Amino acid sequence: MAENKKRVLEMLAQNKISTDEAYRLLSVLETEGSAAEGTAKAGTAAKMKSKYLRVCILSGSEHEHGGKGDRVNIRVPMALIRSGMKFTSLLPPEARDKVTGALREKGIDFDMRNLKPEDMDELLEALSELEVDVAGSDGETVKVFVE
Amino acid sequence: MKRPPMLMHVKIRGERRGFGLWLPIFLLLPLALAVFIILSPLILIAILVFWPRGWRKRALHIFGAAFEVFNSMRGLKVDIQGDHHCIYISAV
Repeated sequence: MAENKKRVLEMLAQNKISTDEAYRLLSVLETEGSAAEGTAKAGTAAKMKSKYLRVCILSGSEHEHGGKGDRVNIRVPMALIRSGMKFTSLLPPEARDKVTGALREKGIDFDMRNLKPEDMDELLEALSELEVDVAGSDGETVKVFVE
Repeated sequence: MKRPPMLMHVKIRGERRGFGLWLPIFLLLPLALAVFIILSPLILIAILVFWPRGWRKRALHIFGAAFEVFNSMRGLKVDIQGDHHCIYISAV
């Protein structure tokens, strides 16, 4: 945006455009800038509105036999996840070490002591873009998304 | 301020039998308060016993977090259905 404004001013300085034209071009650039800002704000608001984490699992037999089969449909409020994550700070240090050790054994280098509240907020904000859609060869489907 | 759930619907169905239950949580809350008031002398003694051990802060945190989790339960829905069984839990 600043680049475009600079270019308009350069064109004015080189007498390639008149003052009126430069004014009009700058006005258009400013309008476009505020519109883009508005769109970004709307996107952030939409993210903040995401309220539930949904997990839907349908077994293959459900599709084949018309409604019979295993079906899992879970809806977890994001507020519940946020509050539940606060419990991690209440874990005793020995338990945290055990969890960290168990994760390391599985090849995951993750230390729970480094998990801070601001990181959790960022993590939950990023969850709003999560979408997992797995379809198995037998017709089973797993869907995880935020709505 | 989050509103706590008012009702909880629990439905469990097995191969032969099953049951459904509407739990009026808004009615249970005054009951829980009454139990808390009755148990308050014991809670006070426990606080005094554990005060020097530094458990006060942790206990307060646990109470706070548990209360927040309870308040955030509104909208929770778990629906698991199989061929011969069904579990349905919903907090309204």
